[in-house]
Amino acid sequence: MKILIVEDEEGLRESIEEYFTEAGNICEAAATYQSALAKVNMYRYDCILLDITLPGGNGLEILKSLKDNNYPDGVLIISAKNSLDDRLEGLNIGADDYLVKPFHLSELKARVTAIIRRKSYNGSNLLVFNEITIDLQAKEVKIDNTPLKFTRKEFALLLYFIANKGKVVSKNAIAEHLWGDGIDMANNFDFIYSHIKNIRKKLMEAGCADYIQAAYGMGYKFTDK
Amino acid sequence: MKLLTKYNRVNLVTTIIVMLITGFIYYQAISYILTGIKDKDLVVEEREIFDYVKLNHKLPQTFESNDQQITFTAASPGSVKREFINTEYYKQFEGRHRHPRQGEYEAGRGLISSVTVGDKYFRIQIIVSKVETEDLIQLIFTITIGVILLLLLVLFLTNRLILNRLWQPFYNIMGQLRLFSIADKHEIAQVNTNIDEFRELNTAVAEMAGRAKHDYDDLKAFTENASHELLTPIAVINSKLDTLIQTENFSDQQSKLLNDLYTAASRLTRLNQSLLLLVKIENKLMHDRQQLNLLDLVEEMTSQFEEIFSDKELKVTWDINNKEIYANRYLTEILLSNLISNAIRHNYTGGEIIIDLNNETLTIKNTGDAEPLPDEKIFTRFHKSSHSEGSGLGLTISRQICESFGFKLEYFYDQGYHVFEVIFG
Repeated sequence: MKILIVEDEEGLRESIEEYFTEAGNICEAAATYQSALAKVNMYRYDCILLDITLPGGNGLEILKSLKDNNYPDGVLIISAKNSLDDRLEGLNIGADDYLVKPFHLSELKARVTAIIRRKSYNGSNLLVFNEITIDLQAKEVKIDNTPLKFTRKEFALLLYFIANKGKVVSKNAIAEHLWGDGIDMANNFDFIYSHIKNIRKKLMEAGCADYIQAAYGMGYKFTDK
Repeated sequence: MKLLTKYNRVNLVTTIIVMLITGFIYYQAISYILTGIKDKDLVVEEREIFDYVKLNHKLPQTFESNDQQITFTAASPGSVKREFINTEYYKQFEGRHRHPRQGEYEAGRGLISSVTVGDKYFRIQIIVSKVETEDLIQLIFTITIGVILLLLLVLFLTNRLILNRLWQPFYNIMGQLRLFSIADKHEIAQVNTNIDEFRELNTAVAEMAGRAKHDYDDLKAFTENASHELLTPIAVINSKLDTLIQTENFSDQQSKLLNDLYTAASRLTRLNQSLLLLVKIENKLMHDRQQLNLLDLVEEMTSQFEEIFSDKELKVTWDINNKEIYANRYLTEILLSNLISNAIRHNYTGGEIIIDLNNETLTIKNTGDAEPLPDEKIFTRFHKSSHSEGSGLGLTISRQICESFGFKLEYFYDQGYHVFEVIFG
């Protein structure tokens, strides 16, 4: 997939680029309003990560230009402004999602993956990873056509892992994804552990391979390698 | 004590004292003068007697007239000293008056003198009635007292009426000060008065309020800007950490360090978000409201906490009824989440949480430390118990949210339960 990162903060832009660059992905970056507008008008992307406050202009203008030209690119707004007005305006103009800084790269990846999935599979709600088939609409997990009973959180966690496959996902990122950033509980990490234990148990009992690895006590990695 | 009361009291007491003193002096002066006049009359009378004796060599006939009595008594030579006396004057009623008594005593002034007729020595006693003098003094005194009383009454009434009206601008300013809140847009209004002191007070108060508001706005803007500026570096730290853990092969020590960094970064994030949220609530930026069913929200919220309840073996008791509120959904969720997570965080394993929702209040009770929390302190920024993991802003935010909806958030300790109560309306 082809992704454009429009972000003026160099450190953040580089990290996102690095995180998204992997086999089969093309990442491009723009640091200013003008360069972003030029790229958007010349090339098509599966998803554009768009910062609102840019040197030279407002990111929302880029979004408007996209929509005026009826370009189908997915747009995820990344903004430091957690204001509802901005969020609503962005979504009204036609952004697909809105993520507030600071965020975890894994969260960003999960959101981008979801946008691209919605855009490209046109109506198909099935997500397949090796022997795991996930029905996104019905929220069902099947291993070789055997349905598994997943709780809501386990389901969300599995999707999160698949979106970030091959990456180490930190426990903090998982906790924020599952419980939201409003809830801060020191013992959330214990629940993450028990959720992951449950997921592994359910998958492996159904004859699935063990894809989840613990990574140095910092987080987990979902990988088939 | 009111200024008016105090003023009246002082005024009254001093007026009475001064009036009494002047009254006394007045009385003394008048009676001195009048006595002097009587004494002169007596001396004239004495001289007449002397002249008569000199001319006729005998005592004059004693008679009674003009309210004066003269008596002569024989005395041993040289025994009488000449002096003025205050005495009594026996007044006989005149015959045509049928009166049970013969007469009555009146105040009198007398002169004791002596005269030698031939070789006989006589003591002369001349007494005049002072009743007219007394009457005069009494009259003057009564008028004076009357004037005093009238003056006092007039003073009292004018003080009451005029001072009350005079002080009206002051009470007006006071009322405005009492309603003054640094956070709202309301300014101190100009009070209509032509009294310089009050105008100055009004100006000073208005200026002070303006300055305070201005400083407060500056401070708020600073908090907002600072928090916003912090977002980007925090975002960079977060993303760099996320990138760093993708590189493999960490030693135990390194992964411990990374974990600590992650924890600190996420605390920093939360703290920053809390500050921004506070600023937003205070600036009334979360104004979009909708009809919310609190019952649904509470149920939704508690299901989020389900696993934490069971992990801490908390017994959760419900008594919730339908309650619609008109509020901002996002803020309401934060409020509920803050209150419930506090009830969990400050609970002990195997403790109890009671959630009670009715038309008037939402009450969240929890067991915990066996002593009440410091009532008002817990709502101040960055107040937290020593073992708390929170940001120290949770309750401040909760209270601000409640206030922005026009609700009240109260804390009290009730028989082993810490109770947080949201009072609607």
